[in-house]
Amino acid sequence: MSSGPVNITAASVAAILIATASLANPYEKYEGTTIVVSWPALSHFSAAETLVEEFTEETGIEVEIDALQYLKLRDRQILEMSKPEGEYDVVSWVVMWKGEYVSKGLLTPLSQFFTSGSLVDPHYDIDDIADAYLQNGGVVGGAKGYLPGVSGALYGIPFGAETSILAYRKDIFEEYGIEAPTTYDELTAAMTKLYDAGVPALTSRGKTGHQVTAGWLLHLAPMGGRIFDDEWNPVVNSPEAVKAAEFMRHVARTGPVGIETFGFGESAAAFLQGDAAMHLDTLKIAAMSRNPSLSKVDGNVGYALHPEGNRCGSETGGFAMGIPANAPNREAAFLFIQYMTNKAGDQRMVELGGDPIRISTLQNNTEGFDEYPVVAAQLPCADPDWRPLIPEWNEINIDVLGQALTQVITTDDPIQPIMDKANEQLREIMEREGYYTWASYRDAR
Amino acid sequence: MPDTTETIVPAAERPWDLSMVGPYLFILPAVTVMLAGLVYPVIQAFYLSLYDWKIGTDFGDAPYVGTRHFIRMLGDENVWESIWVTLRFGFWTISIEMFLGVSLALLLEKPIRGASVFRTIFILPLMVSPVVVGLIWRYLFDARIGWINYYLGQIGIEPRVWLGDASLAFFAIVFTDIWQWTPFIFIIVIAGLQALPSEVLEASKIDGANWWQHILFVKLPMIRSILLIALLMRLIDVFRALEVMYILTGGGPGRATELLSLHIYNRAFDTQQLGYASAISVLLIVIVFLLSFAILKMGNPMSEKADI
Amino acid sequence: MSGVQLVDVTKSFGAVNVIPPLNLSFAEGEFVVIVGPSGCGKSTTLRMIAGLEPVTSGAIQIAGKDVTWARPKERDIAMVFQSYALYPHMDVAGNMSFALRLAGTPKDEVRRRVHAAAEMLELTEYLERRPKDLSGGQRQRVAMGRAIVRDAYCFLFDEPLSNLDAKLRATMRTELAILHRKLDRTMVYVTHDQIEAMTMADRIVIMEKGHVQQVGTPREVYNSPRNLFVAGFIGSPSMNFLDAELRADGPRVTGQGFDLPLPPRLREAVDGHRSRQVIVGLRPEHFAAPRTDGGTEASSLAPVDLGVKVAEYIGSSQFLAADIGGRQISAAIEVGPDSAPLTSGTYLFDTNRIYLFDETTGDAIT
Ligand SMILES: Nc1ncnc2c1ncn2[C@@H]1O[C@H](COP(=O)(O)OP(=O)(O)O)[C@@H](O)[C@H]1O
Ligand SMILES: [Mg+2]
Repeated sequence: MSSGPVNITAASVAAILIATASLANPYEKYEGTTIVVSWPALSHFSAAETLVEEFTEETGIEVEIDALQYLKLRDRQILEMSKPEGEYDVVSWVVMWKGEYVSKGLLTPLSQFFTSGSLVDPHYDIDDIADAYLQNGGVVGGAKGYLPGVSGALYGIPFGAETSILAYRKDIFEEYGIEAPTTYDELTAAMTKLYDAGVPALTSRGKTGHQVTAGWLLHLAPMGGRIFDDEWNPVVNSPEAVKAAEFMRHVARTGPVGIETFGFGESAAAFLQGDAAMHLDTLKIAAMSRNPSLSKVDGNVGYALHPEGNRCGSETGGFAMGIPANAPNREAAFLFIQYMTNKAGDQRMVELGGDPIRISTLQNNTEGFDEYPVVAAQLPCADPDWRPLIPEWNEINIDVLGQALTQVITTDDPIQPIMDKANEQLREIMEREGYYTWASYRDAR
Repeated sequence: MPDTTETIVPAAERPWDLSMVGPYLFILPAVTVMLAGLVYPVIQAFYLSLYDWKIGTDFGDAPYVGTRHFIRMLGDENVWESIWVTLRFGFWTISIEMFLGVSLALLLEKPIRGASVFRTIFILPLMVSPVVVGLIWRYLFDARIGWINYYLGQIGIEPRVWLGDASLAFFAIVFTDIWQWTPFIFIIVIAGLQALPSEVLEASKIDGANWWQHILFVKLPMIRSILLIALLMRLIDVFRALEVMYILTGGGPGRATELLSLHIYNRAFDTQQLGYASAISVLLIVIVFLLSFAILKMGNPMSEKADI
Repeated sequence: MSGVQLVDVTKSFGAVNVIPPLNLSFAEGEFVVIVGPSGCGKSTTLRMIAGLEPVTSGAIQIAGKDVTWARPKERDIAMVFQSYALYPHMDVAGNMSFALRLAGTPKDEVRRRVHAAAEMLELTEYLERRPKDLSGGQRQRVAMGRAIVRDAYCFLFDEPLSNLDAKLRATMRTELAILHRKLDRTMVYVTHDQIEAMTMADRIVIMEKGHVQQVGTPREVYNSPRNLFVAGFIGSPSMNFLDAELRADGPRVTGQGFDLPLPPRLREAVDGHRSRQVIVGLRPEHFAAPRTDGGTEASSLAPVDLGVKVAEYIGSSQFLAADIGGRQISAAIEVGPDSAPLTSGTYLFDTNRIYLFDETTGDAIT
C-alpha cells in the first residue's frame, strides 16, 4: 500500500504533537490512522458497516473494509499475512482456520494488548463474552491444538459467532398437545407423534457429503459421541455414534420429503415455508423466520434448548476477529476490535441486525428476540469439540462420513455395519497421515 | 567443343529450396498452439499427480510421493465405482439420445409445415448454460416444491425424493442429460440427412425398399460417419460432464451419481487432495483415449473421403 | 393395353407449369428416347413415370395398370440416374443385388443374376469394390447392372451417359442398344444429345418446354422434321436456315447468294404458295464438292457459291464455315482424306434435300 508510510508518518507527527498535552482520550493518539479490515461479505458483517462508521466518527480512525466472498477469504488473507509487510490490520476467520493461522505464525497474541493499560478499556469485561464462543473462535493451542486448556492462548475475539438451538412451531405443538422437548427421547417421541399425524417433523440437512455429516454431528455430541478418542482412534461406531445415526434415519423418515437432498438452505426453507414442525440447527433461523421475504411462519416460532442426550452440547461456529502479526497498525486495530465487541458495540450489533456474542446483551434484549434467553442458556454448555479441526477433516467429513450417513438415511441397511466400515476407513486415513506413530512407537518399546 | 569426358552425375537428392519447409512452417503455429493448449495441461496433470499438494499451500512445499497416488487409486473402490457409474450413465444416455435424436431428425427432416419452428424450439436446450440446466432440473425434481412431484401428486402419485434415492437420482441425471443433449444429436444428424444425395435415396425407393428398410439400409449407413462423430463427441462429453451433475445431485446420494469427472472435482476441491485428484484425472484421460481409439477403429470418419 | 401410357399428364411446381397436358404411348419392348434441350421437362416426365414425382393431373399406366398413385416399388420399373446414385456404403455386388435382396429372392438366385449381369457388363473382377474405388465408366456400368438384374417391366434412363467422355459414351451407346435387344424390355431413355437419340431409339420423342414437337423413328424425324425446332435439333452439325422467296418459275427458292430449284417432292406442296417468303433448310452434309465425273445424280445437284472462311480437316470430310450471300452457314464436304484445304468457289447442293418452313409458324411445308 503506497499510502502506508505516509499515514504512519502523519500519525507519528500527530502523536508527538499531542504527547505534550495530557491524553484526554485513548483514541486521540491514533486519529487519522487508516486501518484495513478483511472480512466476509455476509449479513452480520454488512450490518456491522454502520457501526464501523460510528467508530470512525467517534475515534477519528479511518477504516477501509475489504469484504470478500467467503470462499476467497482464506487464500487472500494467507497471502497478505505471509508478506513481510501486510496490508490487513484486522482479519476475520472461520473457526476452522485458526489452527493453521497460528501454526504458521500469522497472528498476534491478544495478550500483548490486554496488558496495556492505555489500550484496554477496564469496562470491556471479556468474561461477559460467551465462553464457548471465545474458546472456539479465539483460543488456539489447548488440547489437540484447537480446544480450551491451560496451554491455549487468545488470538481473536468472536464476531459473527453462533450456536445451535431448537426452533419449533408453537401452533403445531399446541394443536397436537406436544411440549417442547428437552431430551432426545422426548424429541424422538414428538417426531413420531407428528409423523403419525401427517405432519413432517424435524427438518435437517441430508445431502451427500458434508451436509449429511453436519446433520448427524448436531446429534452426536449431545448423545455423548465423538469422532476420535483422545489418542486419535476413530469411534464413529461407538454405541453413541450409532444411536446418533439411528436418530438421523428417524429424522429422514419422519421429516419433510427430500431431506436426502437438503443443504442448509433447503432445510431452513422447509421450516420457514411451513413444511416442517422443527428446525434444530444454527440460531440464525430466528432472524430468518422474522424476515417476511423468507418466512411464512413468523410469530408462530418458539425456541428451546438443543435437546440433551446424555449431556448438554450444542454446536458452536462462525467467525472471530484478530490481528495479523504483520499488521501495520496493531494498536489501532485492537481499539477497533474492542469497540466492535464491547458491551455498547454488541448492543448496537443487535440493533443493526447482527448476532451478539455477550451473555449480557442476550439477557438485555429479550424483547423482540424470543431466541435470546434460549441462546444465553444454551451457550454455557456449547461444545467446541463437536468435530475435530484437523487438516484431514475434509476428507473424513465428505468422503467417509458423508457417504456412510447417506447410506444410513437412504437405505434400510443395518446401521452398525455401516458405521463399522466408516470407522475402518477413518483409521486408514489417520494411519496414512501418521497419527499413530506415537502409539506404535510406544507399543514397540 | 564439348568436353566428352564429362559424365553426367544424377543429383543424389532434390536440391534444397524454401518450398520444402514451407508446409511445416505453415502448420507450426497450429502445432505450437496445440502443444501449449492440449499437451501441456496433460503433462502438468501428470506432474501434479506425483506430489501431495493441498490447496492454499505453497506447491514448492508439497512432498514428492512418486507413484503412491496411482497405487492408491488402483485399489480405491470409490474410483472404480465412479467409473462404473460413468459407464452406466454413458450407456443409457448415449443410446437413448442417439435413438431419440436420430428418430426426431428422420421425422422432422422433410420440409413439412411448422417443422422449422419445431426444429428451433427443439434445439433450445442446447443454448442453455449447463449451470442453468442443473438449476432448472434441480428445481423441477425437488421433492418438496418441484413441479414433477406436484403434477404426479395431481394424478395421485406419492411424492418421490428424486434426487435423494440412488436409483431415482440416477434416473434423474440420465433424464436431464437426455433432455440437454438429444438436440445435439438431432441437429447434426438432420444436417447430415439433408446433405444426402437425393438420387441415391430415390434409387432405394425404386429398388423397392420400404420405409424402415430405406432408413436402416440406406439412410443410416450413409450418415454413418456423422453418427460416429456424434457418438465420439458424446462419449467424451460423458467423461467431462460436471456442471449439471454437480448442481443437480453433487454426486449423491452416496456415490450413485458421482461421475468420474465429478469424483475428481470432489477429491480436488471438497477434500483438497489435489495430487490424488490429478492422478485420477490421468486415468480419465487414458480411459477417454482408449474409448476414442476404439471408436475410431470402428471407422475413422476423418479418413473417409466424400463419396459420390 | 400394355406398354407405358401417359394420359393428359400435367405437372406444376407451385405456380410454374412445367408440363402442359402431355400424351405419350410407348409400346411394350420399345426403346423410346425422349430428347430435348436442358430444362424442357424430360427428367420430370421420367420421374413421373417412375413415381418419384406425383403428377398434378392426368394418369399413367404401366403394363395395362393404372399406376398414377402407386409407389415406385409397385410399378415394376428400374431406373438409372444421371449421377448413378450408387449406394456408397455397399460394394458393387451389394449395389447390384440390393433390390433382389429386398424382394426376398433366394440367395443362389441373387448370386446367379448378379454374376450374369456383371459378366455382361465386364464387372466381375470389381464385385467387391466400393463405388468410390471405381472409375466413372465403371460406376456407370454398375448403375446399369443394378437396373438390369431387376428384370423389370420397364427401364428408365435419365441421361446415363452424360458424365462420360466421348469415346466411352460411343461404346456405351452400342452396348445399350445390344442390351435392349437382349432384354427385350420397354426402355425410356432421356437425353439432351440427339446423337444418342438417333443411334439407339426405336422411336424418338422430341420435347421443347414440355411440349412434344414430334414423335417418330430416327429416320422420320431426320428426313421429315415437322418444324423448325425439330429440324434444327436433329442432325449434326445443325441444319442451316436461310430466308428465301418462293418463286413460281421452276418452281425455285431464291435468296441472297443462292437460287435453287425445288425437287419434285416439294413441287406439289408449294402449289398454293407462290411468291411468298419462306425459310429454307439446308443440312450441312448435303453440300458437295463440284463433280467432274457428272453422274446421273448430277441432275439433282445445283450450284451454290460459298465464301469459305475456315476449312476444318476431320479426315474424310472437311467442315466449312462459310457464307452464302453474307449469311453464315456450315457445310460438311466429303472429299476424301488426301484433299487439300477447300477454298471459296462454286459448290453443289442436293436439291432433293431442301426443306421449306413457313416463315411465321415454323411448320414444315410438305
Ligand atoms: N423440384 C422442382 N421445383 C421447381 N421447379 C423444378 C423442379 N424440378 C424441375 N423444375 C423445373 O422444371 C423444369 C424442367 O426440369 P427437368 O425436367 O429437370 O428438365 P430436363 O429436361 O433438363 O431434365 C425446369 O425449368 C426446372 O427448373
Ligand atoms: Mg434432367
